[in-house]
Amino acid sequence: MDEKYSSNVISGGKLGRVETPDARLTRYIVLLYFTKLLKAFGIFESYDLLKVVHIVQFLFILKMGCAVILVFFQKPFSSGKMIPKRQWIKILKHAVMSCVISLLGFFGLTLCGPLRTLLLFEHSDLVVISLLSVLFTSSGGGPSKTRGAAFFIIAVICLLLFDNDDLMAKMAEHPEGHHDSALTHALYTGIAFLGVADHKGGVVLLVLALCLKVAFNTASRKLSVDIGGAKRLHALSSLVSAVVLLPWVIVLSATTESKVESWSGLILPFAMIIFSVMILDFYVESICMAKLETSRCARYGSIFLFLSGLLLANFWTHPLTDQLRGVSKSVQQSSTEHVLSGGVLVSACFFIMADSILSAPSSKGQKGTLVGYSPEGTPLYNFMGDALQHTSQSLPRFIKDSLKQILEEYDSRQIFYFLCLNLAFTFVELFYGVWTNSLGLISDGFHMLFDCSALVLGLFAALMTRWKATRIYSYGYGRVEILSGFINGLFLMVIAFFVFVESVTRLIDPPNINTDMLTPVSVGGLLVNLVGICAFSHAHSHGASKGSCSGHDHGHSHHGHGSGEHSHGGHGHSHGGHSHSHGHGHSHGSAGGGMNANMRGVYLHVLADTLGSVGVIISTILIRQFGWLIADPICSLFIATLIFLSVIPLLKDACEVLLLRTPPQHEKDLNFALEKIQKIEGVLSYRDPHFWRHSASAIAGTIHLQLMSDVVEQRVIQQVSAVLKDAGVNNLTIQLEKEAYFQHMSGLSTGFHEVLTMTLQMESMKYYKDGTCIM
Amino acid sequence: MFKIIDVLFFHYICNEQRSSTASSVLSVTVFQSWRILLFAVLNLICTACLLMWCSSTNSMALTAYTYLTIFDLFSLITCLLSFWVTMKKPSQVYSFGFERLEVLAVFASTVLVQLGALFILKESVERFVEQPEVHTGRLLVGTFVALFFNLLTLLSVKNKPFVFVSEAASTSWLQEHVADLSRSLCGLIPALSSILLPRMNPFVLINLAGACALGITYMLIEINNYNAMDTASAMAIALMIFGTMYPMSVYSGKVLLQTTPSHVIGQLDKLLREVSTLDGVLEVRNEHFWTIGFGSLAGSVHVRIRRDADEQMVLAHVTNRLNTLVSTLTVQIFKDDWARHSLTSSTLPTGSLSLSEYVTSAAFPPVMSKQHDELNLATSTPAKPSSPPPEFSFNTPGKHIQPVVFQTAHQHRPFNAPLSYGMPPYSSMLNQGFAHPSDGPAMRLGFGVGARMPSVQGYRTVNAAPHRYGSSLPSSQTGQQRP
Repeated sequence: MDEKYSSNVISGGKLGRVETPDARLTRYIVLLYFTKLLKAFGIFESYDLLKVVHIVQFLFILKMGCAVILVFFQKPFSSGKMIPKRQWIKILKHAVMSCVISLLGFFGLTLCGPLRTLLLFEHSDLVVISLLSVLFTSSGGGPSKTRGAAFFIIAVICLLLFDNDDLMAKMAEHPEGHHDSALTHALYTGIAFLGVADHKGGVVLLVLALCLKVAFNTASRKLSVDIGGAKRLHALSSLVSAVVLLPWVIVLSATTESKVESWSGLILPFAMIIFSVMILDFYVESICMAKLETSRCARYGSIFLFLSGLLLANFWTHPLTDQLRGVSKSVQQSSTEHVLSGGVLVSACFFIMADSILSAPSSKGQKGTLVGYSPEGTPLYNFMGDALQHTSQSLPRFIKDSLKQILEEYDSRQIFYFLCLNLAFTFVELFYGVWTNSLGLISDGFHMLFDCSALVLGLFAALMTRWKATRIYSYGYGRVEILSGFINGLFLMVIAFFVFVESVTRLIDPPNINTDMLTPVSVGGLLVNLVGICAFSHAHSHGASKGSCSGHDHGHSHHGHGSGEHSHGGHGHSHGGHSHSHGHGHSHGSAGGGMNANMRGVYLHVLADTLGSVGVIISTILIRQFGWLIADPICSLFIATLIFLSVIPLLKDACEVLLLRTPPQHEKDLNFALEKIQKIEGVLSYRDPHFWRHSASAIAGTIHLQLMSDVVEQRVIQQVSAVLKDAGVNNLTIQLEKEAYFQHMSGLSTGFHEVLTMTLQMESMKYYKDGTCIM
Repeated sequence: MFKIIDVLFFHYICNEQRSSTASSVLSVTVFQSWRILLFAVLNLICTACLLMWCSSTNSMALTAYTYLTIFDLFSLITCLLSFWVTMKKPSQVYSFGFERLEVLAVFASTVLVQLGALFILKESVERFVEQPEVHTGRLLVGTFVALFFNLLTLLSVKNKPFVFVSEAASTSWLQEHVADLSRSLCGLIPALSSILLPRMNPFVLINLAGACALGITYMLIEINNYNAMDTASAMAIALMIFGTMYPMSVYSGKVLLQTTPSHVIGQLDKLLREVSTLDGVLEVRNEHFWTIGFGSLAGSVHVRIRRDADEQMVLAHVTNRLNTLVSTLTVQIFKDDWARHSLTSSTLPTGSLSLSEYVTSAAFPPVMSKQHDELNLATSTPAKPSSPPPEFSFNTPGKHIQPVVFQTAHQHRPFNAPLSYGMPPYSSMLNQGFAHPSDGPAMRLGFGVGARMPSVQGYRTVNAAPHRYGSSLPSSQTGQQRP
């Protein structure tokens, strides 16, 4: 249905695929359906069998039977080329891995029951690979794949959380001694260590086994080509795995007594399982792979399997089916096991949807980058770039590089160290909270984590500031710092708002507070934050000294401490006081815009946290000493107001910069400079003087000057830029216009309004000329 | 005389238009502002109501949904601000005007609501540890009140800045999923395509999706008493808020960061390439282009020209090219070694003097250089006999010459080879400029010089046509006005 709407053939990715008519494929689909039904039946039966037969024995019998049949049909020894010794070793590895995976799968089956195993374990490789590519790579393949992945995850979560399996309680009281072997015992202890119920442990186990299976299948593809076909490999591998399992089975049957009364009664069900699960499924799948497409085969296969699983789960415990079943002894006990629940139904629906979406052929094709437009106006794409540019960096190298970058500069280093300290404190708090099961500690830990996001933002901004200018960021990334300061200011406003609302509700209805745990935590937080305050205020003074000696490159100014004190006092500091410090002689035009907005934001954040800790300590003391429960909300009200007031100057400054205001510290200088410019020989007038602070270190400016027609422009440019550089503008563009320019322009311009404005400008020029004439 | 009448006429028309439109716009704006204020008051009442219900139901999902109502309040405020901005003229300190205030308001409101969503996420994580009971009494009522009110505000108030941003920003993941779903739905029922296929309004979408999530929550809590569902849907709503708001805040943040909007880069490159092929232009550098508010582009660029090129002519042509795209433009023309040039042409060694000395001592202008300039002006750019004809020759071409030159240039641009179309040609052109810095018109062939030959000729023929505003100003007049 998509084809109709994707007009572009290449971007649709539909090139070269020819749809075969459905009618011819119907028989394969029907065949697939019956195979899957039989497979589901076999798995249900093997669940029953596994209750009496030990899992290793079971697996051995399966592999053995499978190997016998496959060797008979495929004749791997007589046909095909000889297999060298090296490849036998590979086959041995293959066999061992396949044994491990099947063991895990069947163990999961004993834990979760057949239906859930079907839902979790029986996905085709295609589905899992596209799921993983959505989750772990950036090019997942469009929104539909993302949706499919989300459905898959929701389905797994449904099985984990909402599936009230009756057996769960029963399994939980399993005596440890019940387990038959060391293997199952180890697995059980592993699951118990994870702290989940057996049933949920089974779900986790099956998901892991599924991933393993897919990885194993992908890895064994090359081997199967070397050996000469997947079928030959399969035959040889099952033979080898039967041989591998043989000693273990012998030891097992020698040491433990079997629960099976008569092996002869189990021959039929075993044959059934071997035929349906191992042989038929394998052959039919390979046929369907060849005839249908892989994606269709995967989609139909999994959907049929899930549907038949649901069907069987509904009727398995029904008395009618008892007659059909080979094993009839465990009927009475299994009647309550692993029944259908709402959670399973929902998750089955989600699994079916996820499979059908994820196994759909990827429609993304290649993602071209737009390079331009053809003369006809159709967009042109570049398909090459994507494949060439993606040289993925290895993770450790990336971490090393970014760490190096962070530690290079003072600001980011400070933020990074403090972030580490904060995170360490947070995790200690969280772990201790979980350990002692104290909810207050946990929630405080989350709060700290929430605060850390501001630090992360600041760190990131401090890193980004140093990036080189690009085509899009033509002035460089310096402004990111200001934007990050602004966002941090907003963040603090939000925090202040929430604290305010919370304290108002508490003021109305003061709750009882348990103060036992509060004091050590808040003292710890206070200590951490005090360290932060020291570090950051030190950073400012450091920056100031650096800024004053190294001229242009840094925007820190000398009032870092001052602002800290001011915000302690809770009122903003004004810039008016120190704009005088800019004498005319000294060359640094960058200092004075307040300290770097980013650092200011981070600093205020730390300050707010400190205030919070102090408030908690004070209110705890008051509550302990005097029993004033009202002290807590009043404290938080006070803190909220303080935060709010201290943020306002930061926000105001950041807003001014973002709105391209003429920098207030330079206003006087600039006005002076403009007056001076007008006095330059040959300059008639100026228009559109724009001066704005771009970042902490850059002040940009543009100005248009009208000149008399007989001056040399380049000389005027030199003079004007010297004057403006003295005023602090370091990114300057001057447009010099003589009368000839307006004549040219009025000749060139076509529109009514342009002509009008041009003539007006010419008029004004004449006026100025008259003025100079009179002078 | 004729010209003066023309100018007066223009003046008049313009003034009249301005005054009439201004008064009508003003009254409409005032009316609109009152309406928005009314909506804001309603919104406040609704928000207060919802917040009370949130605390009484103890539902996180409803709180998250209430944040959307608060966001509506912000958007109304933004709308008011944008009305105010249209009336406000640029002041001396805010020399670019207040258009950016709109952008800042959009950015702030999207960021604020995202921070609220972050807060919701944090609270929900805490709630997963211990799930409190949720009372469903007011849940559905609150949902429907909020939904109704949000949709009413969204659909009845024409919110210019937010409509613009939501259309200009890249699609959110919610929109992408809905578009994907509706596309496959349209494959089944083609009749729906007119409703479903156009781009969805993200705000309407998030409101509907949030209401759906709340409905499901209500059902599950009522039927199965799954209180955890409330937390889950709160997280879902928070994620949706992130998804919807993130592209918008990125878009407005990029405007605030003074970046070149990526959608005009192609056009800009084209124009800059054209500029760099103008006669006398050696290279274009320090190009900064950014948007002032939503839409209007501002920019500055430095153009290095040959020593013997006419600065005013080049300036006029460059401005003319770029003006189509960039409304607030500043072009700085500069020459290397201009001091040597002026030394050779003028008798005064003023180039070595410092600023103050120049101002005081150089009271009389360099006469020779003036003459030289005038000579240049009169004879247009000198084409040396050894060099091929210039790509564009300047003699204040008329208005109808523009398309001719443009088209011939157009055909021979490597549009058909998309791979080489991106940055490389542009930079290589710059390199070319670097490689032949001083005066090499002979080597500055660029591409398709042969193709430009006819254009030059065509221009020459058209040139004979009289120019109304161009060279109609007699040179004697300029001579008179010189001091």
